[in-house]
Amino acid sequence: MLEIKNLHATVGGKPILKGLDLSIAAGEIHAIMGPNGAGKSTLGNVIAGRDGYEVTAGEVLYQGKNLLELEPEERACEGVFLAFQYPVEIPGVNNTYFLRAALNAQRKYRDQPELDSMQFLKLVREKLEILHISDDLLHRAVNEGFSGGEKKRNEIFQMAVLEPSLAILDETDSGLDIDALRLVAEGVNRLRSADRSMIVVTHYQRLLDYIIPDAVHVLSDGKIVASGDAQLALKLEDQGYSWLEDGGIEAVAG
Amino acid sequence: MTQIASHPLIEQWAEDFRSQPDLPGPEWLQQLRQSAAAEFISAGLPGRKTEAWKYTPLRILEQRAPAMSRKLTGDHSESDFPAPVISAEIPTIDGLNGCLPEQLPATPAGLELLTLEKGLVTCKEQFEKLIPAIETSGASRVFAALNTAFLQQGLVIRVGVNCDAGTLLLRWAFNEDGAKAIGNARIVILLEQGARLELVEQFDSVGDVAGTLNLVTQAELAEGSCLVHTRVMKESDEAVILTSTAVEQAAESSYQYSGFDLGGGLVRHEFSSRLAGPGASAGFDGAFVLDRKRHVDNHISVDHASAGCSSSQFFRGVLGGKSRGVFNGKALIRPGADGSSVRQSNANLLLSGLAEVDTKPELEIYADEVEASHGATVGQLDEEAVFYLRSRGLSDPMARRLLTAAFCHAVTDRLANRELAEQLSALVDSAMPKSMIGQETQE
Repeated sequence: MLEIKNLHATVGGKPILKGLDLSIAAGEIHAIMGPNGAGKSTLGNVIAGRDGYEVTAGEVLYQGKNLLELEPEERACEGVFLAFQYPVEIPGVNNTYFLRAALNAQRKYRDQPELDSMQFLKLVREKLEILHISDDLLHRAVNEGFSGGEKKRNEIFQMAVLEPSLAILDETDSGLDIDALRLVAEGVNRLRSADRSMIVVTHYQRLLDYIIPDAVHVLSDGKIVASGDAQLALKLEDQGYSWLEDGGIEAVAG
Repeated sequence: MTQIASHPLIEQWAEDFRSQPDLPGPEWLQQLRQSAAAEFISAGLPGRKTEAWKYTPLRILEQRAPAMSRKLTGDHSESDFPAPVISAEIPTIDGLNGCLPEQLPATPAGLELLTLEKGLVTCKEQFEKLIPAIETSGASRVFAALNTAFLQQGLVIRVGVNCDAGTLLLRWAFNEDGAKAIGNARIVILLEQGARLELVEQFDSVGDVAGTLNLVTQAELAEGSCLVHTRVMKESDEAVILTSTAVEQAAESSYQYSGFDLGGGLVRHEFSSRLAGPGASAGFDGAFVLDRKRHVDNHISVDHASAGCSSSQFFRGVLGGKSRGVFNGKALIRPGADGSSVRQSNANLLLSGLAEVDTKPELEIYADEVEASHGATVGQLDEEAVFYLRSRGLSDPMARRLLTAAFCHAVTDRLANRELAEQLSALVDSAMPKSMIGQETQE
């Protein structure tokens, strides 16, 4: 599904990713953890195609395609979805209008018929129900005046409607209280499926109490320095990230 | 007429004036025309040294040298007018090449429509004071002077005491007869105490006609009356539209203007509102969406002459191509106009490195306890927002168009008439410049 090989990337000329390798199979959830500044968010932004992130070496293959050659919207149309760490407020653009335009742009790309507003509304109501989100979200401008929790839930809602095959959740847990965190995690779990892979980027282990990953990777100084199963996250929780510097990689099981 | 005209175009219009047949009207009007003619001849065309016209060159008029239209009434064929921007179930008046019809539509009780000619008879005393009240001296007022010098036809709209007259549509169009000519029309709006009127003006022609319209509107709002005035400019790049609107407001009256300048080659709107009685309010909202070499200029002047009045100006501009936008919003708070509130805001999006906007909010405050805010910004689209939309699958041009349209929806959202707001949002969306930064080569 996703093959990242020897990825090097710079931001503003500064090397951030320094030879990252990652392989994710269809239907798997991989957690990326690591200290601040390790390059976690950079990874998501490089995959999504944000400006200002320059790939200097390596490749990102997604369903056999070279993702790095595609424009951000083409990546989205290929099924890549980035849930933003800081979702952008867009005054004046109605959430429903925006989401329908996005879905139809993706459907058009895939040679599927576009949905009219009735069909779209039906779809959207189903998704809202699954995620237990109130439909007043539909009438508001994109993220405008949303609380932190509402913004993150709106990201998950968009993901539910767009049905990506690869979703990257960039610190979706940051700034959420425990109730909001649980709601977001429940939403994510409902969207787990055999043909949808996810990368869950997080600084803290607590999100992984709710979203149980198939694999956990520790990112440090632009590389994956340790990989393991869900137990690795618990170890990190217990010991923090300082052991990385003590050359404790060998100590990690799995 | 003894003055020497200062400019070939002024000379041409002076000649038009001298050679025109005697126009009907009372003695005071004859004299007023003469003195207005003397004024436009001595003032000359406004140029770079005329502060109020500094950013709005009149080259296009000089090149075209339109003659004064002599036509009093036009044969108005429906085929000269594009579909109305608002449902046709409302009284509609069509002005062709600046010329208003003699036959006016039936109106509900309390709303009276008259030709200017009839108004001069019916509203004799009122007009004798009102018509000359329009400022006509100096280069900055040349078009008002021209309008008065050639004053012969127009429309009077009168709404009776406490009557809600509903909505009235006024459509302006040019056909080929209007090319190379300048049409002069005068609209007089008289709202009696507690009266209410919504006037929608649509400027829109079937073809791309190089017509010129010089429109002067005078409104007198009696105590507690309310005029909601919306203009939708959909003209072609060939059209030149010059408007001057003067509103005199008594206590507790309200004037709300909303202008959508989505078309027209050269468009200039001047407004002056005098808040003469306590508690009067005036609001000026506008969106201009420009592309190619189009030019739109909004000049607003609000005079707070009484206590407890409020005024606001809220303009959004989107400029692509080599277009140019001008916003000048002035508010004067006179001594004694205590407790006034003034808000001014003009934000602009420049989508092209060759587009230009000149914005100038001006506040002059001589009273106490005045609540005032003003701001003007010129910027580009938020690239974070562009990326956010693209990351969901929208193409770069789609994302930019959506964000740019949303920027203007801030103005349509303020319209009280929701049907019109929806129509106008769609019009604004389709008026978005074709050339957008970051994708010039893609389309």
